[in-house]
Amino acid sequence: MKDESSLVLAAQRGSDEAFTELVEAYQTHVYNLCYRMLGEVESAEDASQETFLRAFQHLQRYDHGRPFATWLLSIAAHYCIDRLRRRRLSFISMDQGEDGETIELQDAGAPNPEAEVVRHEQREQMQGFLQKLNSVDRAAIILRYWHDCSETEIAAALHLTVSAVKSRLHRARRELGSLWKEEEIHSNHERRPHESPAF
Amino acid sequence: MNHQPFEDWLLDDESLTVQQERELQIHLRSCTACTAIADSNLALHSVRLVSPAPGFADRFQPRLAAWRRAQLRRQALGSIVLVVAVLALLYTLAGPTILEAVRSPVVWLREITTYLVTVLTLVSVFGQVGSILLRNLPDLIPPAVWFAMLAAGSVLAALWITLMRRLARAPQGA
Repeated sequence: MKDESSLVLAAQRGSDEAFTELVEAYQTHVYNLCYRMLGEVESAEDASQETFLRAFQHLQRYDHGRPFATWLLSIAAHYCIDRLRRRRLSFISMDQGEDGETIELQDAGAPNPEAEVVRHEQREQMQGFLQKLNSVDRAAIILRYWHDCSETEIAAALHLTVSAVKSRLHRARRELGSLWKEEEIHSNHERRPHESPAF
Repeated sequence: MNHQPFEDWLLDDESLTVQQERELQIHLRSCTACTAIADSNLALHSVRLVSPAPGFADRFQPRLAAWRRAQLRRQALGSIVLVVAVLALLYTLAGPTILEAVRSPVVWLREITTYLVTVLTLVSVFGQVGSILLRNLPDLIPPAVWFAMLAAGSVLAALWITLMRRLARAPQGA
């Protein structure tokens, strides 16, 4: 595969093959962001396709001084935020996919299967909590932890200041911590339904 | 140490020194709120990317083609709207005249002919008046007036030449 900047240049000159290579190279990043933001497989597919279409339409405006991945993720994040605003749903269950199966597969080659099962459950739980965050806070958390973006990169992608990003991450972590705690309390109650509340 | 610094460390999620890490672990044994944030942070650090179903780039191609077709349709529609708008404007501005001309060509042919005849007549009249004046003017003006006019002309010419020379000698950028 050619390097990123030559592919982008070729795509800007009208090469469909170059743009297809870019789609192949960044599809996972864009899809993951859309899936984490929207919480549904179908919506994520549609949003990521729309992201690439918008990138194609505005390719001439891309600034070569900026990483292409960050530019793409910025388009995806803004699109998802707009879509969530339109949708105006407070919560979407992420526990199951369309056919009732879990979306992420367990790593069969993991050295400690039990620990891996716990981590898998935690990831599922985290996906559910993410949907309860404010859409911009959610985008900041996803860019930070799923895409390893720095606070500066997040600020550039979401059109915020670095201090605003720090503040949003801070607030999101606090909220996720609270949700985590609530879930633990709820799980403990479920595990001991027969016991007296006095215990 | 009280609860707040530990919570701030966890909410900032930045790397800690060995000593700070040790103090945090001790605090976590007795603080459920901080334990929940620490567990949540740990889960965030173990997240994974999810990939789309295979064939994503292939599924993108029809969408791109559909967008291109729609863009072509939009451009064609835009051209049609532009042409219609120009025609409507022309019709509004020049429509009545054109319609009138088409309806009765004899009328506008007569108007044009009348206009041309008038212009030609005026040119001919002015020419005749001019030639009469040129023929009779020297006899009508007395010799003294001719002399005064010649003198005034000479003075004006001398003044103009002097002024031009002074302007030419003036320093540049002054």
